[in-house]
Amino acid sequence: MSKTHPAKGSEERKAACLLAAATLAVASASGAAAGSPAEVTFLGAPSSAETIAAGEVLYAEHCAACHGENREGQPDWRRRLDTGRMPAPPQDGSGHSFTHSDAHLFAMTKSGIEAVVPGYESDMPAFGDILEDGEIIAILSFVKANWPEAKRIFQAGLPGMDTGMSGQ
Amino acid sequence: MTYFKELRLNRRAFMGGVMGASILGITPALGAATPAGAHAVAFTGSGAVAVGDVFLISEDGGASWRQGTRPDRKPVALTTHPERPNRLIVALEGGGVAVSYNQGEPLVPGGRGLPATEIAALATAARLPDTLYAAIPGDGLWRSEDAGENWEFVMDRPFIAGEERDVLSLASVDLASGMGGIWLYGGSTAGLQRVPDCFCRWQDVQPEHALDALLEGAKAPDMVPLPAGEPVWALVSSPAAPNRLWAALPSGIWASIDAGLIWSKANSLGAAALASDPTNPDTLVAAAEGRLLHSRDAGLSWTASTIL
Repeated sequence: MSKTHPAKGSEERKAACLLAAATLAVASASGAAAGSPAEVTFLGAPSSAETIAAGEVLYAEHCAACHGENREGQPDWRRRLDTGRMPAPPQDGSGHSFTHSDAHLFAMTKSGIEAVVPGYESDMPAFGDILEDGEIIAILSFVKANWPEAKRIFQAGLPGMDTGMSGQ
Repeated sequence: MTYFKELRLNRRAFMGGVMGASILGITPALGAATPAGAHAVAFTGSGAVAVGDVFLISEDGGASWRQGTRPDRKPVALTTHPERPNRLIVALEGGGVAVSYNQGEPLVPGGRGLPATEIAALATAARLPDTLYAAIPGDGLWRSEDAGENWEFVMDRPFIAGEERDVLSLASVDLASGMGGIWLYGGSTAGLQRVPDCFCRWQDVQPEHALDALLEGAKAPDMVPLPAGEPVWALVSSPAAPNRLWAALPSGIWASIDAGLIWSKANSLGAAALASDPTNPDTLVAAAEGRLLHSRDAGLSWTASTIL
C-alpha cells in the first residue's frame, strides 16, 4: 500500500502531473467494469465493484480516523478547531465533497487541499506519498458510491466532470 | 450588505470622509442638510432606502431622499433583491431580523434559530432571492432559505493572518464557483475573502481556472489585492455586472472589474455603507459619516444628496 516517491518537484510540476496520472490510474482501476455499478464513475470511467470494495478497505485504513467510520465527519465540523483549521467534513453526502469535481477530489487527496486552494492550511495530509493513484481512486469511488443518488447527480453536472478537468 | 461602525470607532473613516468630500468638492451646505445615522443603504425595485437612526426613501437613484417611518427597533443592516422589489430585510439592533414586503411597513419579525446577537452584515443570494446570509461577530455565517424566517449555521468565520476575523460586509456575487453554485464574498475586520455557496472553505480571491492554467502551463493572471489588514466596512457586487465590485475601507472606496483580482482606489471617501443600482452599475449610493451621497460614474466622484 505504501510506496516510495522520488524527491518532490515543484508544486507546479506536481499539479501538472496529477490529471495525467489520474487518467492512467482510473483506466487501470476500472478495468473490470463488467458487472460494476454503472452509476458510479470516476474521471469519466466506471468504477468497478472490485474497485469500490477495495476503496472501502482503504478508506477504513487511511480516512476513517478523521472522516469517521461511517463517513460522518468530525463533530461540529462547520466550526473551526482551536488551531484555526476546519475539522474533517463528512463524506456521506451531507458535507460538501459532492460539490467538487473528480479531478479536484483526486488532487486534494493526492496533494492536499493546497493543490486546489493555494495557501489554504488543512489538517488533511497529502496522500501522494502514502497511496498509489489507483488506491486514491478506489477510495473516492467508494465514497461516491455511498453518496445519495441526488448528490451523485449534482456532482456529475459540475463543470469539468465531462472532461475530467477541474472546472474551477 | 453593509455594517455601520460607530463614529467613535471610526475617526479615521470620518476624517477620510471629510477629506474625500473636500477633494471631491461636495457642497458643504448640502452635506449639512443630510441627517446622520444611515447605517445601511440598498436599492429596491422602485428606488433606494437608507436605514439606521433614520429611514429614508429615494426614488431618483439616491440624488434626493424623503423621510419614511423608522421601525421601533433600529435597523443595523439591510438586504434587498431585484426580484423582490418592495421587500426589505433588516437586521435589528440587539439581534434578530425582520422582513417587510412594503418598503419597510410593517416589519415582521423572523430569525428563528439565530443566536440573540446583533448581526453585522446581511446579503441575499444573487440567484435565489429567498436565500439570505447573515454574518454574526464572534460566531460565523448563517443561512436562511425561506426569506429570513428560519436560519441555520453554515460556516465559521474567515481565518486571516492567524486569527478568526469577524465579517463586516457580505456580497453574493453571481459568478460560478465551479462547485455548482456561486460565490459569497465577505469583507472582514482584516481583509476580503470569499466562500463558495456550498460552504466548504473561506479562501482568498484566486484567479478562476488557476489549476487549469497550471496544468496548461499558462501564466496565472496578475493580482492586486485590497490593502492588507484593513477592515472592509461595505462590499457590493453589481447584479447587472457581477464582476464589478466595490469595497469601502478606511483608506477609501476601492473598485474591481474582475471579481476582486485587481483592485484600484476609486477615491478617498470613508464610506460606512454602499449600494449598487441593479439596473446600472455606474450608479451607487453611499452613507459616509453623516451624509448620504450618490455617484453616477461607478464611484469615482460623489455628490451629496438632498434630503427633502
